[in-house]
Amino acid sequence: MKMRKLLFGMAGALALASPGLATPDLFALKVRTAESVSQGTIEHAVILIEDGKILTIGQDLEIERGIPVIDRTDLVVTPGFVDCYSRMGMSGSGPSGTFPWLKATTELYPRQDVYNDLAEVGVTTLGLYTPGSGISGQAVAIDTSGSTVDEMVLSDSAYLKAVVRSNSSSRRMLESAFEKVDDHHEDVEKAREKWEKAQEKWEKDNKKKDKDERDPEPGPFEAPEPDGVAGTMMKVLDGDLSMMFGIRKAADYLHLLDFIEGREFEFSLRVPAVNDLDLWEVTDRIGERGLRVIMEPRLTTRAWTMRERNIPAELARAGAELVLIPSGDNLGGAERWRHDVGHLVKNGLDRDAALRAMTLAPAIELGLEERLGSLDVGKDANLLFFDGDPFQPTTNLVSVMVGGDFLDMEDVR
Amino acid sequence: MKPFDMTRPLSFLFAGLAAATLAVAPGLAFDDHEGGDEDEGDAYYAIVGGDIYTGTGEVLRGATLLSKNGKIHEIGYELYLPEGTETLDATGLRLYPGMVALSATSNLSQGNFAPGLEFHDFTPHEDDHTICGDCGKFYEEIVPAAVDPGEVSTTHLAVEGFRTDFDDSFDPFGGYLVMALANGITTAEQSNVAIKLKRGEIDGVSLSESQLTSFQWSGSNPSGKTDLRQKFRDAYQYLRDIRLWEELDKDVRGDEPSKRGIDSRALSVLEGKTLARFSANEQGDLLGIARLAQQYGFRPVIQGAVEGWVVADELGRAGAYAIVNPRVRRDPNERLAHPNGSSIENAALMSAAGVQVAIVPANTRIDLGGSAGRDLLSLALEAGFAIRGGLAEHRALQGITTVPARMLGIDHRVGTLEVGKDADVVVTDGDLLHYQTLVQYTVVEGKLVYDKSEEIFYAHIRPRQTEEVVDPGEEAPADEESTEESVED
Repeated sequence: MKMRKLLFGMAGALALASPGLATPDLFALKVRTAESVSQGTIEHAVILIEDGKILTIGQDLEIERGIPVIDRTDLVVTPGFVDCYSRMGMSGSGPSGTFPWLKATTELYPRQDVYNDLAEVGVTTLGLYTPGSGISGQAVAIDTSGSTVDEMVLSDSAYLKAVVRSNSSSRRMLESAFEKVDDHHEDVEKAREKWEKAQEKWEKDNKKKDKDERDPEPGPFEAPEPDGVAGTMMKVLDGDLSMMFGIRKAADYLHLLDFIEGREFEFSLRVPAVNDLDLWEVTDRIGERGLRVIMEPRLTTRAWTMRERNIPAELARAGAELVLIPSGDNLGGAERWRHDVGHLVKNGLDRDAALRAMTLAPAIELGLEERLGSLDVGKDANLLFFDGDPFQPTTNLVSVMVGGDFLDMEDVR
Repeated sequence: MKPFDMTRPLSFLFAGLAAATLAVAPGLAFDDHEGGDEDEGDAYYAIVGGDIYTGTGEVLRGATLLSKNGKIHEIGYELYLPEGTETLDATGLRLYPGMVALSATSNLSQGNFAPGLEFHDFTPHEDDHTICGDCGKFYEEIVPAAVDPGEVSTTHLAVEGFRTDFDDSFDPFGGYLVMALANGITTAEQSNVAIKLKRGEIDGVSLSESQLTSFQWSGSNPSGKTDLRQKFRDAYQYLRDIRLWEELDKDVRGDEPSKRGIDSRALSVLEGKTLARFSANEQGDLLGIARLAQQYGFRPVIQGAVEGWVVADELGRAGAYAIVNPRVRRDPNERLAHPNGSSIENAALMSAAGVQVAIVPANTRIDLGGSAGRDLLSLALEAGFAIRGGLAEHRALQGITTVPARMLGIDHRVGTLEVGKDADVVVTDGDLLHYQTLVQYTVVEGKLVYDKSEEIFYAHIRPRQTEEVVDPGEEAPADEESTEESVED
């Protein structure tokens, strides 16, 4: 259960961070600045929220009489942060092999403090992936403020994770997974032929017979069910599920393209930002495709030198969809997240791309861009309230709203 | 990789050449080439104005090498350069064929351009459980700790056509790869697979595989020698039988002779499909190998051959190849009555006796620590040492180009600069085999893959003059004025 209490009276300046705050069904929010992500920065923004969704958003909108107003024109609002790549609250390593049907939902253990704590530091949505090498399974996207599985799970099939390296076993792994789909299509074709023959035979045998004498008609065609691998990989090829390929260096990307040659489907790249990373060699090629690249906000040194490169910024400039994740997969990492990203901004990353990389881009990665990631009409009212520019180190996170309700921030330091 | 700016160093020489071609007979030039095999998609690359050392013995001074789609299209003077040809000005520089490095294993391979096996425990990374926290490698890459690295042989290289495991693991961005290119190496052999050192692309990296088959022949293992001799004898007999059988009429002849019990490796050597590779240094072993080869009619490849000069005539008669490190020195054992030991003259003496000598450094990996100066980066220098020992200069160049290419069965593609071969060119500022010479540019399959001034390794040594020389008479006063102004400001 979320820590909310009813709100009585909506007069004037409400202390947002104080406990005992919940909101009515319909209310207006007045803030100094709203970072909408999708439509840029809105000064003197008014956000109308109904049933936990954003009803309207705009500059200096008129608020109808009778609608309660929360007036915090001293604060800056951003969408709730989305960390799409995490194992927080989960443990152990996974098996190695091809298990695309596995789901991280089954590992989800709610009522852990870490999730609610994450919400309180601004990470309102979390993507949890399946561990293990190979094609390890489907990630789950959760609402970190929830306390039961039902409350938490936003999508149990957010993306399909696979680890690809420059070697022949990775080639075989991908090829055989996709071949399962071809095999299944063949099986369906065979079954259909068999059914059609049965149908023809029935018609031939029974055409001249009276209705009563006829043999029972064969039922409608039923295609054989695909197995776990074929079923999931079909979803990938049909565009219902996107894949996330974990790679480690530029060469892996070239080999990945070689391995999946001729198969068109949506995928993103997960590249750990470590020193010596040579991904800058292929940023143009990644940018051309507009791929999402998931990485930590970290400057990395070029191999054999102390020269730092801002690979996330280079990717964003090249046209890739940058997705940033906290540097450490723990509460501390999540707390430091916006400061780490701010460091990249200071070193040349476009500020809009930076904010997008923490909100809308990971929401797209999780397949939740219709619900989350920006301040747009119809989206969930997941809002973070800052007392200044979120990328400034001195700025504090004052309050967090999830689905239109403020979190109880008693524990927040 | 940043594309090299071709326009800047385009000197008057090229401009003059092009102008001359147009002025003399523009119609002729077009008649020759227009309507021919030119295609919109063809990629032309020309290295203009350098002295071309073709590797076959010829030198063309101030000539042009034109490559089309990665192959050498023309070499000569006043060539017609199709529209859109990228050019590299090599005035005052020399062009050599790219070097071929044998046994380029270890450091070159470890995660840098080919797979390497690592041997340590797997400790999951704190962020990503699928990779090791210590080395960042994938679980399977480090687990086969029980496997002896020497055991990773041809069976490991699952082959379909020319696709080997190297094709799936080649890293075209590795720092060691660039280092090899920076030292003029464009082809390397690893685990009997010949690899073209392409940069930025992974297609068509394997050139050949399993051209060499390793055999053991050692004086310390007499039964091994007997076994090997038996294997060759059986294979030889089998080939004789099958030839006789084929000659007989179909009605008369019986069943086809059985391949059972025949050593397939020895058979492939006798059939001429592969070359037998031995590792031997003692004159007794070398003699044994030479006699075995002569008896069964194959060319042995002998790695080491430290005392090869003693039995050079026998090796020459056997048509042997020797893979030699010229700097190996072995003091003679004075108690022996016959000549023994080895010196810098070994390569020269063997070559004079007709042995095809390939040259390798003492350490065939790139080593930035211990054996720096004797590692793969000093391949050209090693050939220079062989010259000091008396080897003819062109033989020394062949020892790092054509001879290893021939051993690997890729001499139709690499090793010399000839029309039709791969445009793998090393552009140097002096004699390739001189220790002071630096590689200025390296071109692999018609693409510039190394430019000294653009990489961190050697750019600071004798930096290339890139600025136009300013005439002090005109420019100097203006400069003075501007500095004065800025001081006043």
